[in-house]
Amino acid sequence: MTAIEDHTKDGPIRVLLVEDHASFRQALAFMLEREPGFEVAGQVGSLAEARELNGEVLEKVEVAIVDLALPDGDGLDLIEDLSSQPRTMTLVLSASLEPGRFARAVEAGASGVLHKSTPIKDIVEAVRKLRAGEALLSPAEVVEMLRLVGRERQEEHAARQAVERLTPREKEVLQALAEGLESREIAEKLNVTVETERTHMVNILHKLGVHSRLQALVFAARHGVVQIR
Amino acid sequence: MTLNARAAEHRPRKALVLLANEPRAYRESIAQVFRLLRPNVEVMTAEPNELEDHVLRLAPEMVVFSKATGLVRERVPVWVELYPEYGTRSVVGVGEERSTIEEIQLSDLLSVVDRAERLTH
Repeated sequence: MTAIEDHTKDGPIRVLLVEDHASFRQALAFMLEREPGFEVAGQVGSLAEARELNGEVLEKVEVAIVDLALPDGDGLDLIEDLSSQPRTMTLVLSASLEPGRFARAVEAGASGVLHKSTPIKDIVEAVRKLRAGEALLSPAEVVEMLRLVGRERQEEHAARQAVERLTPREKEVLQALAEGLESREIAEKLNVTVETERTHMVNILHKLGVHSRLQALVFAARHGVVQIR
Repeated sequence: MTLNARAAEHRPRKALVLLANEPRAYRESIAQVFRLLRPNVEVMTAEPNELEDHVLRLAPEMVVFSKATGLVRERVPVWVELYPEYGTRSVVGVGEERSTIEEIQLSDLLSVVDRAERLTH
């Protein structure tokens, strides 16, 4: 028996679309509605809209296709909510290039993760597979993703500790660096000697575990120590 | 020359709509909707790095892209810069007109296709 025949027998696959790029969401909904064995149960463009969905609608959703970058928050939060619905599986469809984002989606309960560079026919097929009870990710892939999440959490914890070790003065030096100032200019701005500025920088590099001003700047920007204007 | 070939010479050509936007899922789904709802236009897709070559060879009436190039803006009468940098704003160019649309809808895109199609009348 083919997958399509199975779905017809069990009723159409009820899909929820959560995607803020309306023209794409509407095009995808239009295509899914024309696919044999599919029904679009709802489409929303934000976390708030998803949470306002009628409970009756949500109960019927079998596959939710969710974008991670939503205008009012992270799609990861919604995945956790949807995971509490017994018959709902989540397929993440994202433009993110960060493997960690996909890994966190799996940790939150997503049954599959696809990049938006995936051909449409493969996205449709992935939904069919999920409904048919097929896994889109092998156990080995899931384990690797969970390990990646674990490693990233450790790195984030270490980074937070490193930031906490910075003195207020060292943070001022980093902010001046973020403004594009050179060593002498930073010293002038902070009213210290160039030697003192260099000492601060050596301490910063040591505390952050990096090897150059550029790396220190990238670290500081990534962890919110400086503002890049 | 056969009768059919002679007839083809005088048949007005269909407007060509070329989609070369990223990501692929957007490009393919929107192209398919255009094909189904606007059968009076020809719809093609291309990778973004093929866009300029296609514009020079095919002279489409309309292009949908993610990142504007000077050549495309100069040569193509109707264009849509769709979600540049994955933002929420899109820009539509029709001749000398420019309009920025926040949260462009599928119906907006179809309206732009209609404007491009009228160019071949």
